[in-house]
Amino acid sequence: MLRTDEYLLWAEKYRPKSLKEIVNQEDIVVRLKKFIQEKNVPHMLFTGPPGTGKTTAALAFAHDLYGDNYQQYVLEMNASDERGIDDIRTKVKEFARARVVGTVPFKLIILDEADNMTADAQQALRRMMENFTATSRFILIANYASKIIEPIQSRTALFRFTPLSKNDVIERLKLIANKEGVKFEEEALETIYEISEGDMRKAINLLQSSSAVGKVTADVVYKVIGLAQPKEIRDMVSLALEGKFNAAREKLRKLMIEYGLSGVDIIKQIHKEIFGNNLQLSEETRLLIADYTGEVLFRMVEGADDEIQLNSFLAWLVLLGRRITQE
Amino acid sequence: MMVMEAKSYTPWIIKYRPKKISDYIDQDEAKTILLTWIKSWERGTPTKKSALMYGPPGVGKTSLVEAIAGEFGYEIVETNASDFRRKDDIERRIKPAATKTTLSGKRRIILIDEVDGLSGTADKGGIESLFELVSITRHPIIMTANNPFHPDLRILRDVSVMIELKKMHQRDVVKVLKGICEKEKVLCEDEALKIIHSKNEGDLRSSINDLQSIAESFGRVTVDLANQLVYYRDREINPFDTLRTIFTSKYSWQSKQAISHSQVDPDTLIEWLSENIPLQLSEPEDVYLAFQALSRADIYKGMMKKTQNYDFLAYVIDMIGPGISLSRKKTKFKWIKYEYPKRIKLMGETKKARELLNSASQKIAKKMHCSSSTAKSEFIPALRAMYRTNKSEAEKIMRSLMLEDNEIKIILGSSTGEKESSGEAMDPKQQKESQKGSEEVQRKRKTSKK
Repeated sequence: MLRTDEYLLWAEKYRPKSLKEIVNQEDIVVRLKKFIQEKNVPHMLFTGPPGTGKTTAALAFAHDLYGDNYQQYVLEMNASDERGIDDIRTKVKEFARARVVGTVPFKLIILDEADNMTADAQQALRRMMENFTATSRFILIANYASKIIEPIQSRTALFRFTPLSKNDVIERLKLIANKEGVKFEEEALETIYEISEGDMRKAINLLQSSSAVGKVTADVVYKVIGLAQPKEIRDMVSLALEGKFNAAREKLRKLMIEYGLSGVDIIKQIHKEIFGNNLQLSEETRLLIADYTGEVLFRMVEGADDEIQLNSFLAWLVLLGRRITQE
Repeated sequence: MMVMEAKSYTPWIIKYRPKKISDYIDQDEAKTILLTWIKSWERGTPTKKSALMYGPPGVGKTSLVEAIAGEFGYEIVETNASDFRRKDDIERRIKPAATKTTLSGKRRIILIDEVDGLSGTADKGGIESLFELVSITRHPIIMTANNPFHPDLRILRDVSVMIELKKMHQRDVVKVLKGICEKEKVLCEDEALKIIHSKNEGDLRSSINDLQSIAESFGRVTVDLANQLVYYRDREINPFDTLRTIFTSKYSWQSKQAISHSQVDPDTLIEWLSENIPLQLSEPEDVYLAFQALSRADIYKGMMKKTQNYDFLAYVIDMIGPGISLSRKKTKFKWIKYEYPKRIKLMGETKKARELLNSASQKIAKKMHCSSSTAKSEFIPALRAMYRTNKSEAEKIMRSLMLEDNEIKIILGSSTGEKESSGEAMDPKQQKESQKGSEEVQRKRKTSKK
């Protein structure tokens, strides 16, 4: 298995293994190191935007606490992928049952995307945290602290991860490019940073897919972005603007059902696509659509069914398309 | 095979009722909510002392309660619509059970089946006295209903934990049927079980009944027998009339009445409306207005689900009733044949592909320490892009992620298919700066600086 390592996705290959390799988030690293020195670890809550190093910090913390074979002391779960709180409970129970041998008297449970749990499930989680304190510590990871219930917040040490600076991202990309022997233009790395908006995972993914072409230039980066996005997104918008609602909806269903994209993913990509050159639109129209995608995103957060909201977006586009041609 | 000997007849739906939670298949969400609520009684009386479980017939509402009671050794005091109806009956029979402790000290569950059958003059005062019962009970009260949204049930909805059970998936129904066949040593064909499922529309109880009647008459369950003997049960799920009334109503009360009289629940109606709005309405303005109404309905539905506040239902109905009727401004009404929601059909047809996509994204998620939805929205598109510029490299990476051939095929999916592989893939050696590309760069620069 080790031999396949060289073909790994770089987002994993270049994930810092130890806290001392983490270059940014200094305050957090200092606090975490202190816990390790004292072997006194509270339950923790890591919050911050995607790609800012929350999961990396949790894994690096585990590595530094237990050593290279840390996996056996760590239970890693992603709340979005667990079937329910009962499954989580079963896994935790199973994992926490056996006492640990070694210098650290407890095990570590990392629960990613904990803010995707309902309030009720979080209540159950809270009780679990209390019940298993003797044998386990929890690291909960979330995008927003506000979506974690108060009782959990008050029982955990809170760490706020901030978006990475432009400099940090670009330095990291350079380091990776150099190690991989990839040629690049400085400008391309800036472009990657801008597109990925401080999300390190996205930035590294983009660097890797761009480098597959050869030398990484800004142009290549944009083309790769175009390749990575399903063509259906653009087609769907064009079809709707041409007044073909049903055809546009077929594309939408393909995206949601076949590609398995969420409504939020789709609307965000439409938002990006709107400002691209593939759609012939006036600047006013671009802004109008961009504004409305925001409205749709808002409605999806409030509503129950993403497809209904996207259907209503397509109906709006049809109307807009007609107004444009009439003008 | 021989025709079975006459013996004491036990209906399989009784024989194979789940005795424990682990025997109970599917309905994970409902299971979790109900378990959490039942367990909360161990720590004193919770704020909501009753639960209202709802869903179509035969999806396991009562069985779930029995499985939970079996698991924890609770006693069930059970009543159903045929037992008791009026205020007096509730006072006399249920009230003592709800307010007194059990002899053994064990907890007791008061199960009141089919509360939606409880309205009307014959059961006068029944709902009111149930409501009263909830306020004084010392034991959990669980009610079941097919349609919990009847206006008369409102007071019960307000004080109850609402638990929805959905129609069962084919996979789960077939699994249960197969298990029974194995225990009964009856030969069965998988396809036949699927037919039984689909003709019973996710109703496990009637599926088991059909299975038993075929198996006990013929000793085996084949496709032919299933086709011959299982008839579509007469379910009032035909939403056509309701849709037609909604689209033609002039006054709000007409469409609202059509919805409240309909046997189709609001969720299903939304699905049907979404499919048929563009068929019924031809003017883009009208389509737009109708989808705006549907969008509002969905937002109220979302709020209802999140907050468990069923006051929002009235607004959902306003939007899918008058909201839709009044959006037909320019389109003339025409008689059309309404279509079955394609989404539901597509979900069935693409099941296999979606399962592969899920298993691939789960593998990636595990390796990359992320959720499978992040795998779908970020890593899979990146792999797809890589494949189109550098096939061998992408393949090596996908192998290192332990993806299998059929998973890789799904990941690359239609983006490598016919039309797209034609001109767009890039040649690594040929990186001319196209004018379009550089314009795009400049545009992006500008917009990102703004």
